[in-house]
Amino acid sequence: MNTAKQFFIASGIALGASLLTNPVLAQHAGAHVQTTPGALIPDPAAVVIIVNRDSNEIAFMDIKSRNIVAKTFLGKNVNPHMAMMSPDGRYVVTGGTRANKAYIIETATAKLVKEIPVGMAPEHLAFSPDGRYYYQGNPDGDSVSVIDMVSMTVIKTITGFAEPLNITFTPDGSKAYVGNHGAHWVGVIDVKRHELLKKIQVAEVPGIAQLDPDKYLGEINGISNASISNDGRYLYAADGDLGVVGVIDTRDDKVVKVIRVGAKPWRAYMSHDGKYAVTVNNGDETVSFIDTKTNTVAATWPAGPDMTGVNFAAGKAFVISPSGFLYVYNMKSLRPAGRIKVGTNIQIETATTDPAEEKLYLANSTDHTVVIIDAKTEKMESVANVGLYPWGTHVMDSKDNYCH
Amino acid sequence: MVIRSRRSVFNMPVTLTTVTALIAALGLANDAHAQQSASDPKAMQEHIDALEKRLSDLESSAVLSEPETRVRKKEVWVDANGIEYDEQKPGTKKKTTYQRETAYRRQTIGEKIEEALASADESKVQIGVDGNIVMQYLSQTEGEEIEADGHAYELASADLFFTAKLAQNTVFFADLVGFSGSTPDEELTGSPLALNGYGARLDDPDEVNLREAWIQTELFDQTLKLIGGRLDLTNYFDTNVVANDETTQFIADPLVVNPMLGLSSNGAGLTAVYDPKGGFTFTLGVQQSSEDATNLSESIYTLGEVGYRARPFGLQEGNYRAWYRRDNSNEGPKQDGYGVSIDQKITPSFTVFARFGRADAGEDDSDRFYSGGFQFQKGWIINPQDAWGVGVAKIDLVDGGKEILSEVYYNLHLAERLRLSAHLQYAEETAAGAEKIAYIVPGLRFQASF
Repeated sequence: MNTAKQFFIASGIALGASLLTNPVLAQHAGAHVQTTPGALIPDPAAVVIIVNRDSNEIAFMDIKSRNIVAKTFLGKNVNPHMAMMSPDGRYVVTGGTRANKAYIIETATAKLVKEIPVGMAPEHLAFSPDGRYYYQGNPDGDSVSVIDMVSMTVIKTITGFAEPLNITFTPDGSKAYVGNHGAHWVGVIDVKRHELLKKIQVAEVPGIAQLDPDKYLGEINGISNASISNDGRYLYAADGDLGVVGVIDTRDDKVVKVIRVGAKPWRAYMSHDGKYAVTVNNGDETVSFIDTKTNTVAATWPAGPDMTGVNFAAGKAFVISPSGFLYVYNMKSLRPAGRIKVGTNIQIETATTDPAEEKLYLANSTDHTVVIIDAKTEKMESVANVGLYPWGTHVMDSKDNYCH
Repeated sequence: MVIRSRRSVFNMPVTLTTVTALIAALGLANDAHAQQSASDPKAMQEHIDALEKRLSDLESSAVLSEPETRVRKKEVWVDANGIEYDEQKPGTKKKTTYQRETAYRRQTIGEKIEEALASADESKVQIGVDGNIVMQYLSQTEGEEIEADGHAYELASADLFFTAKLAQNTVFFADLVGFSGSTPDEELTGSPLALNGYGARLDDPDEVNLREAWIQTELFDQTLKLIGGRLDLTNYFDTNVVANDETTQFIADPLVVNPMLGLSSNGAGLTAVYDPKGGFTFTLGVQQSSEDATNLSESIYTLGEVGYRARPFGLQEGNYRAWYRRDNSNEGPKQDGYGVSIDQKITPSFTVFARFGRADAGEDDSDRFYSGGFQFQKGWIINPQDAWGVGVAKIDLVDGGKEILSEVYYNLHLAERLRLSAHLQYAEETAAGAEKIAYIVPGLRFQASF
């Protein structure tokens, strides 16, 4: 039996077992996305969530009309960082970086239903696939807060991380992987017990590092994210200081390959067909396309400064550089395909892609706008005054929901 | 006893002592209550809980710094009386202005300092330094004895770079270079291929030279770059990913620049680069070709290049360039030349390169130049940032002279700012009507860049 098939079956067994033992879980996993006729936001899939960092709110933009249909104020000086919708669309959650709290908003009413104290400077977060648990990373507290979405309380604070940023669950929900930006390892959490199981070192720090204390002791740029392959079998964890991507086999949590990419890769972004993991290398302003079949770099091309994300749509990769440009690459030929200028003297942040892979919703922070880009024609449309300093966007079921 | 090492707003572990002190300080309890708490664990726990809640509230609501502000570009409508409106009204015209706005965000001191430093850096002239020491030794292996045989050479050079932002998408750059010492090329007079590219295209060794000084601006959504001033055209033409830099790759000049370009020195000129970030790039340059010329029109060197980024046959990325040049500085026959420069990555760590060039050197004949080689990076190396390469260059001159020069190097990346590389060159040279000579040149290069 091939290993992928084995893994698929094992995942199915694990999920089935947890469904039998946990009625709440079964309810979530079995339920489709519920629409609420007559509500302020009747269909959670019909809105773009906008994280307005400096007006301390989450805005909801209707995808069809482009109108802001609701704004949920979180409190003064909360400064939300990333938002995510629960898998069933019932809730939107966010971490208030300056408030040390997690916030839960009911999507249908756009009402803030719960404020939960968590660790220091909560930023990135993730839901377990069944929607039962909301893991909130607290980079300044070196911890991950586990929030039970049924009781809406922190049921555990997992410590022992080093500036934990993004969290990735396996499709079966048995494990979660945490990128540690303040270290060179990926943390493995046993989701059943909510415990840090292992620390996977993605690559060794070279011996020659001893000659370079300014680089290796001055500041650490470790791992931002462990990006998972479509089949859930492998993780691609880029390490900024080491300039590599470690490929981790999720079956035994071992690094099976270390791939050298450009300098200072921020993280890997998985193409929607799973064929490529794309790293943005801010050290040399390039992007590397890793062929996930051979786990080798298929191409490395010039891009822009300080890149924050990659979105995939219409057969292209759109690489975001805050300087005001999107660098476009043809995903079939893996060749540069032009550049889109969003504006001058602006700062663009991150974007999400709609599930149909037709439009990108790009946060333009200094202009307080969301720019909608047609992936095929590359035409732009700007939605003004969405709130102060839109930092990120989110669309339910998008494959490009990420943060920087 | 440490009750719990939870971090407070002050990033200090909370201990029993600090808890008691803070309870008192925050007025949560009177003395009697505090004394009671000290002997009653339950009461103490309640106080700790109260304190933690207060700390949480402080962390959640206290503004620890002044509100952040930023200046923003704004579109407004202004009427004939100069009254400004946020929305269009009858009789108003749309104008652009700038206005400060408040961001309701708690800014940390660290962020504030970081921003201030970045802002200060942006507004001042940036200075960079690139220092190099190259040591070489020449040992003749064949032919009539030459002056350089058995001689050792050392060249020390320092480049000072200055960069300043002048306006929107416009920068000024200057490169002052000073070098001292000698290279084998000074004693290999008449040799067509230079062993050391450091002094190439500079006017006066042992003096401070202005290598470059130019202003660059970008137009049309930054697709068109215009550069004017004293230029080193080799920065824009005949570039090559693995054979284009004497400070980190090959030292030998023909493995850095195609000699058929015919650029004897840097000079005043203008370059335009059109790069829409697709497959093609187009570059056009003019430069004063002779330092001795008294006017530009009689010493114009013109160069054009088309570049293409490709992934041929499913290989990795490759860059393909073709150029054509004309020089009108000398009277007599035309002085045209053309060439290609290619670099193609075969595997993620293995890149091959090749150059060809041909330049008019008489009525009906021309000199020809060929070079090729490869580089390993990110594979077959000792340290992650190391690279090594092998290159061979050959020139055939109209007068019958010819030379083959080969070089192998290993560049050891010792630290972010320090590199050491070992080089070995071998050359066979046959001047017109003369006996062949051959020599081997081992060398070391230290490079420090800031």
